Amino acid sequence: MKQLNSNQSNYLRTWQGKLLFFILTAFSLIGFTQKSNAQNITITGKVISDSGQALSGVSVAVRGTNAGTATNTNGEFTLSAPANGTLTISHVGFTSRTVPINNQQTLTITLSTSAVTALEQVVVVGYGTQRKRDLTGSITVISGDEVANRPSVNPVSSLQGKVAGLTIVNSGQAGASPTVRIRGVNSTNNADPLYVVDGILQTNIDYLNQADIESIEVLKDPSSIAIYGLQGGNGVIIITTKRAKRGQTTVSFQANVGIQKLNNKVKVVDAEGFKTLFARQLQNIGAAPFDFTNYTANTDWQNQIYRTALISNNSLSVANSSEKSTTYFNIGYSNQQGILKYDNYKKYIARLNQEIHITNNIRLGGEINGFYWQQNPPVGGVQNGALWAAPIVPVKAGDGVYYSMPSFQRAQVGNPVAAIDLENGNTLNSGYRVTGNVFAEIKFLKSFTWKSTFYTDLGFNQTRGYGSLPFHFINFGEGATTTDTSYNNLAHTSVNQSQTLYKTYQQDHTLTFDKNLKGGHHLTVLAGFSTLYHYNEFTNGNRTDTSLNIPKNSIFWYLNTAQQSNPGTFGGGASEDASISYLGRVNYAFQNRYLLNVTFRRDGTSKFSPSRQWGNFGSVGVGWVLTDENFMKGVSWADFLKLKASWGTVGNGLNIGNYLSYPALNNANVGIFGNNIYTSVVAAYVPDPNLHWETVEGKDAGFELHTLKNKLNLEVDFYDRKTHDILTTITLPGASGNTGYFTNLGTIDNKGLEISAGWKDRVGTDFSYSVNGNFSVNTNKVESIGNNINFQITNGINLTQSGYSIGYFYGYVQTGIYQTTAELDKTPHMSSSAPGDISYKDVNGDGKIDQNDRTYLGTPFPKYNFGGTIAMGYRGFDLNVDLQGVAGNKIYVARRTATFATLNYEVNRLNAWTAAGTTNVEPILDNTRANNYLFSSYWLEPGDYFRIRTLQLGYTFNTSRSKNSAFKMLRVYISGQNLATFTHATGYTPEVPVSDPVTAGADNGVYPVPAIYSFGVNVTF
Amino acid sequence: MRRMNNNFLLIAGFSIVLLGGILAGCKKDFLNRIPLGQYTTNNYPYPSGGGPYDQYVFAAYAGLRTWETSVFGFVGAVSIRSDDADKGSTAADAPAQIEMDNFPVTPTNGLTNDLWTGYYGVITKCNVVLDQVARDSANTPEPTKNLAKAEARFLRGYSYFMLVRLFGNIPLVDTVLTNVGESNISQSAPAAVYAFIEQDLQYAASILPAKWDVKYIGRATSGAANGMLAKVYLYQKKWGQAMAAADVVIGSGVYDLNTPYDKIFTEDGENSSESVFEIQAYADANHKEDSYGVQYANVQGVRGTDWNDLGWGFNVPSAQLDAAYEPGDPRKASTILYAPSTAPTKYGEVFPVEPNPRYNEKVYTNPTVRAAVGDRFGWWMNIRILRYADVLLMYAEAANELGGAANTDSALSKLEMVRARARNGNNAILPAVTTTDQGELRTAIQHERRIELAMEHERFFDLVRWGIAANVLHAAGKTNFTPGRDELLPIPQTQIDLSKGVLKQNPGY
Repeated sequence: MKQLNSNQSNYLRTWQGKLLFFILTAFSLIGFTQKSNAQNITITGKVISDSGQALSGVSVAVRGTNAGTATNTNGEFTLSAPANGTLTISHVGFTSRTVPINNQQTLTITLSTSAVTALEQVVVVGYGTQRKRDLTGSITVISGDEVANRPSVNPVSSLQGKVAGLTIVNSGQAGASPTVRIRGVNSTNNADPLYVVDGILQTNIDYLNQADIESIEVLKDPSSIAIYGLQGGNGVIIITTKRAKRGQTTVSFQANVGIQKLNNKVKVVDAEGFKTLFARQLQNIGAAPFDFTNYTANTDWQNQIYRTALISNNSLSVANSSEKSTTYFNIGYSNQQGILKYDNYKKYIARLNQEIHITNNIRLGGEINGFYWQQNPPVGGVQNGALWAAPIVPVKAGDGVYYSMPSFQRAQVGNPVAAIDLENGNTLNSGYRVTGNVFAEIKFLKSFTWKSTFYTDLGFNQTRGYGSLPFHFINFGEGATTTDTSYNNLAHTSVNQSQTLYKTYQQDHTLTFDKNLKGGHHLTVLAGFSTLYHYNEFTNGNRTDTSLNIPKNSIFWYLNTAQQSNPGTFGGGASEDASISYLGRVNYAFQNRYLLNVTFRRDGTSKFSPSRQWGNFGSVGVGWVLTDENFMKGVSWADFLKLKASWGTVGNGLNIGNYLSYPALNNANVGIFGNNIYTSVVAAYVPDPNLHWETVEGKDAGFELHTLKNKLNLEVDFYDRKTHDILTTITLPGASGNTGYFTNLGTIDNKGLEISAGWKDRVGTDFSYSVNGNFSVNTNKVESIGNNINFQITNGINLTQSGYSIGYFYGYVQTGIYQTTAELDKTPHMSSSAPGDISYKDVNGDGKIDQNDRTYLGTPFPKYNFGGTIAMGYRGFDLNVDLQGVAGNKIYVARRTATFATLNYEVNRLNAWTAAGTTNVEPILDNTRANNYLFSSYWLEPGDYFRIRTLQLGYTFNTSRSKNSAFKMLRVYISGQNLATFTHATGYTPEVPVSDPVTAGADNGVYPVPAIYSFGVNVTF
Repeated sequence: MRRMNNNFLLIAGFSIVLLGGILAGCKKDFLNRIPLGQYTTNNYPYPSGGGPYDQYVFAAYAGLRTWETSVFGFVGAVSIRSDDADKGSTAADAPAQIEMDNFPVTPTNGLTNDLWTGYYGVITKCNVVLDQVARDSANTPEPTKNLAKAEARFLRGYSYFMLVRLFGNIPLVDTVLTNVGESNISQSAPAAVYAFIEQDLQYAASILPAKWDVKYIGRATSGAANGMLAKVYLYQKKWGQAMAAADVVIGSGVYDLNTPYDKIFTEDGENSSESVFEIQAYADANHKEDSYGVQYANVQGVRGTDWNDLGWGFNVPSAQLDAAYEPGDPRKASTILYAPSTAPTKYGEVFPVEPNPRYNEKVYTNPTVRAAVGDRFGWWMNIRILRYADVLLMYAEAANELGGAANTDSALSKLEMVRARARNGNNAILPAVTTTDQGELRTAIQHERRIELAMEHERFFDLVRWGIAANVLHAAGKTNFTPGRDELLPIPQTQIDLSKGVLKQNPGY
């Protein structure tokens, strides 16, 4: 028996054990509370509008419980409720009402059209909800409809341009996740935000069906984020998926299908241009002319590797609701081809959500979401390859026989088409992911709600791949050499497999007290407890078959195909982390006028040593609704005016390593003696025993104004967000060599202003329109990054140091081109400068140009983000236009800077200097002049762009006139995305990678963002 | 109402039990997560018979296989700067190496920073070993500790010797730096650095074994320490000590010249009886181009386009070197690989026209090994750092500089040993040097060093220490070479910036 007990308690310590224990507990609680609902009466009623029309689909709920229903098409409802209870009646577009039952069995309730519906909107905040009018923080809500119709496979990418203070950098790669930054970059580490999907904390939402999202909330300021404590430092994006609405049964289908096209090719010279420029370059170097005799082709390599590609998104959902339960079921399928040949991504999704209202006070529910994806990834590097390959070479001679590049780039630049064709279908990536939760919610003593939820997220990704035999290449004869065909006979076929397992377990328990007290006090108190556990594990291997040629057929692509004596490498590893959190929040409102929000969270994490594991975070927010004050009653210009301010601290512990308090051991430093290999492990860096997380301290102040009869609304926020104790691996000056020191160092500050404005009006009865715009400006400054040493993080292009913005471009300033020797003599120059070279600014004025003349050249991060939406409706027609852009950043054209071989020229080089007076921008065609390749403003271009993001024209069929119509709603639309981008940037797209804060902004062959032309349909039955 | 209260109590009770249970179950162990699938210094199972310091010592050796220490910046600074080598590759490739070839090397040249951080990285790893030994509270036997210290001090001495020759004025660090504030150390003059190196190498020479078990072939020996020490003395013109240290190596009986010159640099010639110290590298089908090997041969390999694409083609023998050989000297064919080939190579390969007419044959790999590894880029090639012939020539140079009939005789005999091996029985070539004139013999020894050790990291440093760098380099067309500046590399600007100006730039930059 003793034995058994100990087993039992061990079992309880496991996650499964706890889950089961909790479920049993929850069910036993239900049994106890079942009896308390004896005093209910049955109420029938009708809801009408102030103009007397019956309102259907109105939500009728018993306050303080989960009981509720919705009105039918005649506006009628039937409901069981306590005789002394209160009903809450709410409907979109109408002001909500609370009606005491007072033992009445029949009720007629009139709703008046709402003046300030947007303010009554309920916003999901961490571990609860709040009315928008009561918020003291800065939260932007995006309705699911705004992303559902966009031709994109990843829901986040459709947020671009919609939210002030949110920067999104999209990629054109099929299924790719965009880079997301909220209010600037606040760390030298990963600055990705936290995603919270129906309560579970996530690092990405790739697994969601974008048509299945109810709303997206972007939490920007500390008083909103503080409830997420250590995880929230980079901002939080809350996703709420769709649920069945009470009292409805609907089937809806959404689909769109489109084609994607490369609409901005990089302008490179053609064969004739190449021959001219290369000949001139050889002449300038003093080299012998190149023999072009056999090179008669004129190939546009970009046309060869890009294609017109298909994209489609499909979603079918069924929602059903009865008195006691709601069910929501969704399946989705998306397929995106990349415009880079053979790139393909497919995702399949199924989600089931079920809630059971056991009594009016007890709700149980659960959800399971299954996700499967498949990918044929694109071949890397060919985006640049197509720009670099000489246009004078033809593509291929036949099956498996391609032309190689001319000798001046043969070993450095491969035939881009050969690279794509060789890898076509050689990598099969796929993955499964299941997320789910079960919860129980109990309301008791009218004002209390206890909710417990267990979440899990299980992922399993796998890759199988194949290494082909190379193609044969025809090398054209040049001068004395003759044309021949070559083949790399050292190559063998190989196979590889890798598998990765992810597990996340999370539990949340919250107790909420919510009560209107006498005298106009409203109090909401939340207390909670949460734990989170992550685990991942991977194994991988590859084997090269040195005796047989494995066929290019995926049935053979398993390690055991190649017998075991063949060479191969194999690997595997695992990692885990855990955290425990206590959280609390008080929301207090006095007469709806004075608002107070106080948040606290205490987090413990396994990522740091036990002495530094725990941290406290918190915030205070205040709001003042002036328009509810007596002295404002006579003021006609403001329909609603709220002032708000908040302060808080959060942690930035989301994206840091798991074992920071242990010195990471690097076992690559093996000892080699002769042909003997000896294991050696040594600390990869010198650890700091006091290591702790980064802390973000934020201040926010702003106002919200509704005016001109609520037609115009305006929200303005100022913020100042400071990250302290940034975790950084630094290289100590010389002394420590290349061994890093990992420590908390430095402060980064982001200050900014966000403005959102909306105008909504109606002209006559048929035409309505709205205009929404947002604008944000952010200033980033690294305030300190080490004191005794002048610590910098630099890759020679970007520099991060005190007093400047993070990762700024640091180099020489081009003033022009040295035109003549005479000019050279009287101008400061480098000792190696000659006429035709870039002239640099003598920044320190010492009469010579050297490393001390390097200076600030700009930032890779946009200072300004702006976006807007124009929507118009006329009868059944609707037109939506999304606009979006950024300004104030620079792009480094890294793709042009390679000197390791002679590459094809971009058209700017047609204007290269040839003699005095020819140009003051483009240096001479001579790639041996190293001084022209120093990093300078010559290699930067403005990153500003303005884009017509979406243009969508839709028609909604009037189904109310034909009562027998099979549809409740039917809308068809045509849509264009990324139709035009106005920019001075010369790359495929001005959206260059900024994911690594300290080396951002380089265009080194980015994946083009395509234009998408699509057709879609939404039907509800 | 009474019932409700009861229910509330029940719920509250259950909640507390539930919460308490979860907390008790979690709190202690839940946040305690030890790295999975990875050793820490606390749980590393030391191999039986292996010392607790081997892992740290091996990491220091591994530091010599890196890009920073022994690859691109290394060949640039020790060879491309000299008159024996041109930059190679294609005209525009690697602006940083163009600077090495033509002078001046600018302070922002990335290769200088590579060298700086690379060698200081090795020094840090050595300091870690010494720190571990000093803090050893277990009953580790004294000889084990001393051996670890000796290996660390040998590698540290070698690293400082490279740094002092490259940069001149450098910070001396002999402890593990963990405090950001204390890590900013000012430079010491070369004389102080040399004194420090001497102590390290003297200690290493007194402890290290003359030979290691064959399974540890290539590990630092007392011969390596004495040989390196001889070179350190030579650079300071301490002729007597140089001769004595070289004599210890010669008298050890461990080394000989029995390996034919054309075999020394092949895969078969690795760790031959001539090898005093070489950086060990390894590659096989599973480790073609990774940290087990070194990219040294890859960056110098023939820049072909097909089977003949053996590398990037940097650091190619110059026309001046080509012309410097005495008639018929067979060492030329073992040093210079011509493209197009004038005759099939020793492995029967025939190279077509390549971007350069000459490549470094001392990194030319065996096609059989290439096929076995399944790779053409030579990451398996060891780097010969110190050869017995070098020790003999150091002895000859020191003896000649000391002067006196006995020393001159001794110098001549050591010189002849080297030439005799090169002659390989063909008495029609490379006549024995017989002059007893100190100046003439000096010239002969300098010539012999150039030829015997061509493309082997000695030439530029030799020119500088002989005081003839400006004359020779100007004659070779490197007219930008400015005496008083270009003998040393600039202190990397990155390091000066990091130090907030505590590090001072070398003169002339």
